[in-house]
Amino acid sequence: MNYSTLFIQLLPEAVLVVTALLLLGVAVATEAKTGKPIANATASAISAIGVILAGFAIFNMPSNIDSGSQLISMDPLARIFKAVVLGLGLLAILLPPARREIQNPGEFFALILFALTGLSLTSGTNHLLFLFVALELASLSLYLLAGFPRTARASEASLKYFLFGGVSAAFLLFGLSLVYGFSNAATLPELAVKLAENPTSPLAIAGLVMVVVGIGFKLAAAPFHYWAPDVYQGAPATSVALISAASKAVGMVVLVRFLLIGFSAASGSAAWGGMVAGWSLWIGVLAAVSMIFGNVLALAQTSVRRLLAYSAVANTGYLLVGLCANGASAAGAALFYVVVYGLATLGTLAVTAAVERNRGNDSPTSFAGLVHRSPLQAVALLVFLASLAGIPPLAGFAGKFAMFSAALSASTHGGDPGLTWLVGLASIMSAISLYYYLSILKQAFVKESAEAGEESPITASHALAVGIPAAALVVLGLFPALLLDPITAALIGSMSGR
Amino acid sequence: MTPAWTLTSAFAAALLVLLLPARSAGFAKVIALVGSLVGMVAAAVACLARLSNPSGAVWSFDCDWIPSLGARFHLAADGLSLTLLLLTGIVAVAGVLFSWNVTHRPRAFFAFFMTIIGGVYGVFLSRDAFLLFVFYEIVILPKYMLIAIWGSTNKEYGAMKLTMYSIGASALILIGISVAYAAAGGTSFDIAHLAAASYSPALQSWAFPILFLGFTVLAGIWPFHTWAPTGHVAAPTAASMLLAGVVMKLGAFGALCVAMPLFPLGFAQWQPVIAGLAVIGIIYGALTALSQKDLKFVIGYSSVSHMGFILLGMAAATHWGLRGAVLQMISHGIIAGLLFGIAGRVVYERTHTRDLAALKEFDLWKTLPGVAIAFTLATAASMGMPGFSGFVAEISVVIGLWQAYPWLTIAVAIGIILTGAFSLRALQKTCFPNRTPTDAAAHALPPLTWPEISAISLLLAVSLAIGIYPKPWIVLIDDGLRSPLFNSILSLP
Repeated sequence: MNYSTLFIQLLPEAVLVVTALLLLGVAVATEAKTGKPIANATASAISAIGVILAGFAIFNMPSNIDSGSQLISMDPLARIFKAVVLGLGLLAILLPPARREIQNPGEFFALILFALTGLSLTSGTNHLLFLFVALELASLSLYLLAGFPRTARASEASLKYFLFGGVSAAFLLFGLSLVYGFSNAATLPELAVKLAENPTSPLAIAGLVMVVVGIGFKLAAAPFHYWAPDVYQGAPATSVALISAASKAVGMVVLVRFLLIGFSAASGSAAWGGMVAGWSLWIGVLAAVSMIFGNVLALAQTSVRRLLAYSAVANTGYLLVGLCANGASAAGAALFYVVVYGLATLGTLAVTAAVERNRGNDSPTSFAGLVHRSPLQAVALLVFLASLAGIPPLAGFAGKFAMFSAALSASTHGGDPGLTWLVGLASIMSAISLYYYLSILKQAFVKESAEAGEESPITASHALAVGIPAAALVVLGLFPALLLDPITAALIGSMSGR
Repeated sequence: MTPAWTLTSAFAAALLVLLLPARSAGFAKVIALVGSLVGMVAAAVACLARLSNPSGAVWSFDCDWIPSLGARFHLAADGLSLTLLLLTGIVAVAGVLFSWNVTHRPRAFFAFFMTIIGGVYGVFLSRDAFLLFVFYEIVILPKYMLIAIWGSTNKEYGAMKLTMYSIGASALILIGISVAYAAAGGTSFDIAHLAAASYSPALQSWAFPILFLGFTVLAGIWPFHTWAPTGHVAAPTAASMLLAGVVMKLGAFGALCVAMPLFPLGFAQWQPVIAGLAVIGIIYGALTALSQKDLKFVIGYSSVSHMGFILLGMAAATHWGLRGAVLQMISHGIIAGLLFGIAGRVVYERTHTRDLAALKEFDLWKTLPGVAIAFTLATAASMGMPGFSGFVAEISVVIGLWQAYPWLTIAVAIGIILTGAFSLRALQKTCFPNRTPTDAAAHALPPLTWPEISAISLLLAVSLAIGIYPKPWIVLIDDGLRSPLFNSILSLP
């Protein structure tokens, strides 16, 4: 093993950790000197700089870097998704953390950096044990982040998230140990070789089911989603942004690695009339349940944050449709969609945070008349929600269309219906989702605000957190190939062992 | 001036209107008028160019868009597309003129309006199923906003119902297109490529109704037409004109130029069902229109009835039938625009009622003779009187139908009689009520304004022009129908 290469590989994470420690030091020093905690803006600026430096480290890393370590695999997929994690994390950092100022911003932003470190490490490994440790680093940080302003709501969110997350970690660990017990392989490519000899081993399948349950919790797939509404409602906007965008993207990467690299021999099939036991069928059922649950329950929400939580469940369903087809282009489209989904949800949260600050709550009626109070925020909200609903020419549409059509072409041969049942369900559910997204837009554009008055202006960094995702969704909607093609190519590269 | 000017002028106008500073919001309508005029002129010029050189190559534009999916930015304009572009341009100009008095948030109004126009142009020009679907869906949100913000009568319900029907139908289209894409090898969304692939009869028999229904919901196929009357009534005048005039034609266009050519065997299987639904739509729409109290509802249900002729022409699947279907798209686009413009803007803005019983009191023939004349002519056109475009279109459909389903022409004859009945009833109640004259001064109404007069004259002139001299339109439509896309349909037994 070449340690200097290993260090270069780990440089982005090292930068994040050093920044976090530096931030903690500065926070302690400031408090000792002035008697007051470090300013929110200072803490967020320091962490933003750290994230940007880590981004530079990724972009400057030589390609084909290989340290010989089994723990870290800097394959093309890892490269893209480490950048995605940092990008989504940076946008979350730009958000104002909470409705009320948090007491100790130093710790808060240091935890964000630790969470990003964990997520970044998770997206770049094929090693079972290392994956678990990295994922737990991220998860533990996120549990804490969820409970930060010590209100009752936030504490409830944090505790629920922690309890559900703890159980899911236990599932994941148990699944991983079963898989290891079956194959004696510690990495996914080795596992694939072992599994190809004996694809129907009950031990491996049991392990796989446990792993999918564990990751399903992280992704908020129904029926493992019960933590999501309370966390989305109670946690600070920044934490929700991390959980819904960056953490979900990494969850998808892990699932894609497991299913397409590790367990490709046990895929089975969810095609209509030709169902074969295997993960494809299992994922297909999870997708259907998530889409139905998420969309139907979202219809009844009176809090925009809870609505976003159910929309997260529904969107996990669409993502799983892309995986279910067991094809590189469908899974590539799903990975594209998870990025696009993250941007749209993050942007919606950013606008919601602004509305909450001005109106005190996040019910759809507090969005009333937003177009008069702040036209740019209203237009951005239109972009985010229309993208989530899959309206062109926004990126959400391109992602869904690519995912669904690729899922169909991977599953139909000749005239058989293949996955048409699942894709049909997905497109109809996606049509239904327009109803609840539109109910927010109706308030923002159609209704007049009950109380007059200008919206108090948002900070520059908050404006960036609204503006950047909106611009990205428009650009990626008009030219999806900019991101879709690199992701698909990277996935194919990673599947073939680069 | 290539046909692409239609698309670019509409979207450019929408963008310019959005960027207008608040204090010059009054310029919004001017920009929209210029944008829509450029589109109309571009379409007219392209039509004339095609007429003078009918055998030349059609204008097209083709470039890579999403290589990994095989989606291309492929536009082309054959005669059929050109006539529909011209229709859109004419309705757009008339719509802007009829909206000349919009003062509530004019920038947003005209931005949404021009976005819809741009989307409609895009659908008529697209030769790639993915691109077509993109333009098809772009229309949905602006439609919702136009109705929900500027509408009347139950506007939020009408807007939401229309939007949910549209997006639900789009989901069906997405499934249909994706199935064709997957079964054709998953390499290209090009419509000609998809139509050339051979799909198994089993696949066609279930994929065709999904795709066809997805498109025809927007064309008001019975029993999925209920969005149309509520939506048209709730919408502001210009939006009703657009909805009935061109947006419903998007559905018909998609059914004719995508669903049928892609799955001809599936179409052959479902042909009698489509014909049956079309006839039910014609008679049901007319009967319902006969019993309405609101003038806009009369026109809304008459649209359902008239759209039935388009479906019927397609179901006949003979050359005359398809030609009649396209002619009816154009004719109904013009006439529905005219009727909604007169009822929603000219009459309602002055009388503040659309209730037929209340309109009786105004006696339009006495108070506003110009309006009464225009409404009489529009009604005559809508009834299919010779000399107007409706006659040419309906006679073509009936000839086509006679070749395919002679017995159904009886039902169509009943429908035509009913159309006469509801049209005359509405006309009599609004313009020529049989009542003793009261004090006319009590109902003094403001005279017609120049934008209204120009919009009415434009639409009436086009309808008359088609009715008196339909040849250029038929030449252009036949030019489109010669495309290899329709070979499989026209050669069906």
